[in-house]
Amino acid sequence: MADYSWLSKFPKMDRSTLLEIRKYLDGSFRDFSREYGDVIESFFDPLLDFLIWFEKLLVQSPWWAVLLSITALVYFTSRSWKLSLGVVVSFLLIGYFGMWEDTMRTLSIITVCTLLAIVLGVPIGILMSRSNRTQALVTPILDVMQTMPAFVYLIPVVMLLGIGKVPGVIAVVIYAIPPVIRLTNLGIRLVDKEVLEAATAYGANPMQRLMGVQLPLASPTIMAGINQTIMMALGMVVIASMIGVKGLGQPVLKSITNQYFTLGLFNGLAIVALAIIFDRASQAYAKRSQKHMQGGHHE
Amino acid sequence: MKTMILIGGILLSTATHQALAEEQCGKVTIADMNWSSASLIANVDRFILEYGYGCEAELIPGDTMPTSTSMVEKGEPDIAPEIWSNSVKELIERGVSDKRLAIAGHSLSDGGEEGFWVPQYMVDKDPSLKTIEGIIAKVKTFKHPEDPDRGAFYGCPAGWGCQLSAENLYRALKLSDAGFDLVDPGSGAGLSGSIARAYERGKPWFGYYWAPTAVLGKYKMAKVDFGSGIDVDHFRDCISKVECADPKVTMYPSALVQTVTTTDFAEKSTQAFAYLGKRSLTNAQMNGLLAWMEDNQADGNIAAEYFLMNHEDTWLKWVPADVGAKVKAAIEAL
Repeated sequence: MADYSWLSKFPKMDRSTLLEIRKYLDGSFRDFSREYGDVIESFFDPLLDFLIWFEKLLVQSPWWAVLLSITALVYFTSRSWKLSLGVVVSFLLIGYFGMWEDTMRTLSIITVCTLLAIVLGVPIGILMSRSNRTQALVTPILDVMQTMPAFVYLIPVVMLLGIGKVPGVIAVVIYAIPPVIRLTNLGIRLVDKEVLEAATAYGANPMQRLMGVQLPLASPTIMAGINQTIMMALGMVVIASMIGVKGLGQPVLKSITNQYFTLGLFNGLAIVALAIIFDRASQAYAKRSQKHMQGGHHE
Repeated sequence: MKTMILIGGILLSTATHQALAEEQCGKVTIADMNWSSASLIANVDRFILEYGYGCEAELIPGDTMPTSTSMVEKGEPDIAPEIWSNSVKELIERGVSDKRLAIAGHSLSDGGEEGFWVPQYMVDKDPSLKTIEGIIAKVKTFKHPEDPDRGAFYGCPAGWGCQLSAENLYRALKLSDAGFDLVDPGSGAGLSGSIARAYERGKPWFGYYWAPTAVLGKYKMAKVDFGSGIDVDHFRDCISKVECADPKVTMYPSALVQTVTTTDFAEKSTQAFAYLGKRSLTNAQMNGLLAWMEDNQADGNIAAEYFLMNHEDTWLKWVPADVGAKVKAAIEAL
């Protein structure tokens, strides 16, 4: 008696087989976590110490000192009075509405995440730009990192490292690093071949070509990548707070669970303010460092 | 003449439809909330209402706060099978007094069991950890992951009702002076993840959790005794509220876990409402089912089928005989 049920319903794997596969994978991960969990934890200990120190620094310093230093930093990178004034006003509002400590915590962890993403991402992008095979290998990994729902890889991370800052950093970096890698790769590949040839003709070795020609010419694209990375890192703040990272994400979670719209709105606006400040400052720095390109180059 | 017959036919069919409508409850939406016991009950309800009572029952995803709010404000979904009323007490009370919500009955007849727990293996090695005094004396064992000088007490995620009670009891027990920091795990997954991690490694853990849950079914934990007994009035008036000026120590009373429906549904589908009133499980039964779900990695749908197939004596008591027969026939056909 032929069974034609597959014509209407997809012929699924036998449920017991699927169950065995799931149990096997779960079991092997559990064994892995038991054996190597402590080793992996101690590997991240320096990072954890730095995160704790940096957060303590921002939270426990007097607010006017932090505000002054941030404003000074923004001014010196952007040389824009308007932006610095905007920074002062938004931080004063954030403090007045009672969100200072949370904002400092978020600021500290996002700064570390962004720096990590840039420090790890730009070299990987450079490596990708050198070889098509590397690009073909890395691109699917980037696709997974950007689209796999965060909790899927957070479950094993929480099993290994617990809840707290380090899993939060891992989650944010995984989500935020692909733009800087992709755009670094793109920017370097888009550098005019003739210019590279000219540099080689003048006797430049590969390192001089990279540092003197490729990176400066690719820098608008690389800065765009860094900017996107910053934005995506801030977008992950709420997900990070779901695994115990303190900061602006937790009041947002509270507002979701309790339907406190205004609380969520205010904390969300604080996150937006941080994002805009990071973005404008980094873009202004990028523009200033590319003044040399405003000669005959039109992009 | 033909028109007369046509009109007569239409009227007759609407009359019979009217009669059938008494038994058919039409379209019903059931909230499928995102934890195992609620999902199991929702799927059981869906099956029985669909095949036993002829409703067009549909599951929609939900969570305690959004579902309750949506039921009060929009009258949808119709049924929320497992509301832990302590977490949304004011909302439910207001909904009932505004005649928008109706309480059908108790989903968990024993009520939920809340408390502070430590792993069983710790108590086996050191029986003093069964009491809060013993835990306070050994604060150094419960190391905080990010601060080596403090101990960690895992409270409830931000926004949960139990966050208030756990925090108030943390203050009443003076755990901060004893050296414990209140850790906010961020989400239910974070809290259960921290228990799983500690248990798998045989490490210490001390915090809030509740039963019946898959986590407590899988990882044997011991409830910590505060030595104070249960003061229901103080718990209701102070511990469970956000403003509790002077919290005193009390154990958790059993939590009310109810089936809540909209008044529209209660008035329209009286038979289905009566079933929901009778449908109730003890903690022992629920723990057993949750353990089975965990072992078989089953979701609510598969677990509901398992329950209906293997626990006839339990669910047949909730429905009249004819409904029971229809449901049995549907199960055989699965």
